[in-house]
Amino acid sequence: MKINTTDPAAHPEQILYTRCTIDLSNGQQTIEEVPCRNLEDVLGGFGRSFQDLAQRQIANAYCDENPLIVNTGLLTGSTAMTGMRTYFSSYSPIKGSLKGLPAAMWSAGSGKFGAKFKWTGLDELIFENRSSQPVYVVISESETGPHIELKPAEHLIGLSTHDKMMELQKEYDNAHFATIGQAGENWENVTMGAVALSTENQLKSGEDKCRFAGRGGMGNIMGYKNIVALVAQSEDKIKSVTAEVKKVNLNVIKGGGAARLQPINRGGGGGTWAAYDVLQAFHAVPVNNFRPQGNDIPEKLFRETVEKDYFIESQACYRCGITCHNNISEKNADGGRGEFLAKFDYEPLNLLGTNIGIHEAGQAARLIQLSDNYGMDAISLGVTISYVLSYNERHSDQPILNGAQFGDYEKIRQLIIQAGEGKLPEVGCGSMRLSQQTGETDYAYHVKGLEIAAYQPESNPGYAWAIAGGHMSMGTYGLLTREGKTDIDSWVKGITVDKLHIVGFDMIGLCKFFDINNGIGTQMVVDCLRSEFGFVVEGQLIRDAVRRAFLLGLALEFRQGYEKSEFCLPAEVHKNPNGQIELPNITSEQFFAQLEKRVWEIFDPELEGLVD
Amino acid sequence: MAIMITVKLVGVFRIDRFKEQRYPFPSGSRATDVIEALKLSRRLLGIILINGVHASEEDQLENGDILTLMPLIEGG
Repeated sequence: MKINTTDPAAHPEQILYTRCTIDLSNGQQTIEEVPCRNLEDVLGGFGRSFQDLAQRQIANAYCDENPLIVNTGLLTGSTAMTGMRTYFSSYSPIKGSLKGLPAAMWSAGSGKFGAKFKWTGLDELIFENRSSQPVYVVISESETGPHIELKPAEHLIGLSTHDKMMELQKEYDNAHFATIGQAGENWENVTMGAVALSTENQLKSGEDKCRFAGRGGMGNIMGYKNIVALVAQSEDKIKSVTAEVKKVNLNVIKGGGAARLQPINRGGGGGTWAAYDVLQAFHAVPVNNFRPQGNDIPEKLFRETVEKDYFIESQACYRCGITCHNNISEKNADGGRGEFLAKFDYEPLNLLGTNIGIHEAGQAARLIQLSDNYGMDAISLGVTISYVLSYNERHSDQPILNGAQFGDYEKIRQLIIQAGEGKLPEVGCGSMRLSQQTGETDYAYHVKGLEIAAYQPESNPGYAWAIAGGHMSMGTYGLLTREGKTDIDSWVKGITVDKLHIVGFDMIGLCKFFDINNGIGTQMVVDCLRSEFGFVVEGQLIRDAVRRAFLLGLALEFRQGYEKSEFCLPAEVHKNPNGQIELPNITSEQFFAQLEKRVWEIFDPELEGLVD
Repeated sequence: MAIMITVKLVGVFRIDRFKEQRYPFPSGSRATDVIEALKLSRRLLGIILINGVHASEEDQLENGDILTLMPLIEGG
């Protein structure tokens, strides 16, 4: 970026980002210094990409006019802790309105690719049209600025996400990679393809420890465009950490909201896996397609149970002190670490474990690994499979697909393999489409076409207003469980004021665990921006920009054909309330109707005129 | 005069402690007194329930109450 002002809110046009647009149909590329239109552009991520997507009228995600926008955030590659994010934005092949129009979508991931991308000198890469042959794209630094090259990729076709990276690593040193798996390649029959992002640990160990931009089928947009990988090759360009940023980083680790994500042996809560224990106390861990049974079956995947038989290591992203994820490996006879299996985060563990009736950690880990290797979004995959299993439980005389039942590891494994290889569009294209085919939509656990995360919808009516996935674009998932809020006023305020700010992290380049409860309009972020760029900007102006970006996302949903009636929870929640969940009922039809009315009273006037 | 409280611990709070135990506490005790007595990390403490209802550290306990103490959850 070229920065010619200290006031990014008042003079965004004096900040220029470097954008390369590639026409894949002929290889032509244009590199431009683009003046920012507003603070959202300066912050980056979906704050910028959604403004560009809003300028396109797209009726089918798989069309040449639908761009794929790859960008970073302002603090990606900076000294601010967690500044590793890469964003992929496009009209989604999986999230769409009942009118059949695709929703604008972004997906974010860590790993080191984003920082390397930024260090090449590029801020944004837009792919137009599609290539006639499979290609990979090399982004490298040169004396004259970023250099972008398309290369033939036939030799990478059919390889997993991880294997593509291992292959590319032989050719490119000092580089990081973003790849799709077979699921991304088979875009015609899969719409939940993820983009995998390489990590330092992965490239050094050779073990499949990617991170993922999983949501919304961005891997399939890459696949449609015939791009199978991106390579970002650059020297590391981390500046020395200033006292100001050092103080912020220490606060992130010790004083901020991330403390509970630290490893247990450092006095932390043990990562997102710890949600199992807490939610189980309310019998709110999803079981068998989001129907908790009021028993102790989720405890089989508690950490204390799993660590008896498996080797667990807490590990961190590059230069991050939060150390939030737990890698699971086989345990050798001497108690040492055996073969690496998978990373246990709460969402994939639950949705490819307890919620499909798999209660053995090794089996759950193998399913997560399969999902990762084929390059599928573990949330969409797990929830679509749990729908299949639920259907088969209800129709034992006439089951669908291979007749898999809850807990049937081998048959579930086959479903994942077939879906990943593009041979099972019933699973590969998500629960909304499958449930429309079966005619039984009530227990398909998606909202607006995108499968929900592993928080019971009974605990989170805010899912309905999430703009890019249930829990990471609307932070209300803990409002009942964590904060005990049961009144309409708290929920209206949560949805329309406080909890939408979670999306700010998908603009600026930071992970949500930087300060998940407070968003990016904080003194910590203000201090980082002053130290890194000399910016003087008030936190409130950042909050205003995040709100505008969120509202644009909502407005785009309406532009793409969503009716207000589609801002809803899975119907089973209302029609067949689950009395086993030990939380106050805040999802009765009456409560939800009142919430809808109040929320739209606030949002409606702000949405007017935002898009054509 | 003492009151009997059933304390339930969740997640990492159970490590080197217990899952559920009955304790005598002085009359007038609050949730915070139990938290201090058990030396629970306030950095990790996220959810307090008294008889299954969300409560705060300052809430007073009554004889026979069930106090549940949990770490905070975060998305993943």
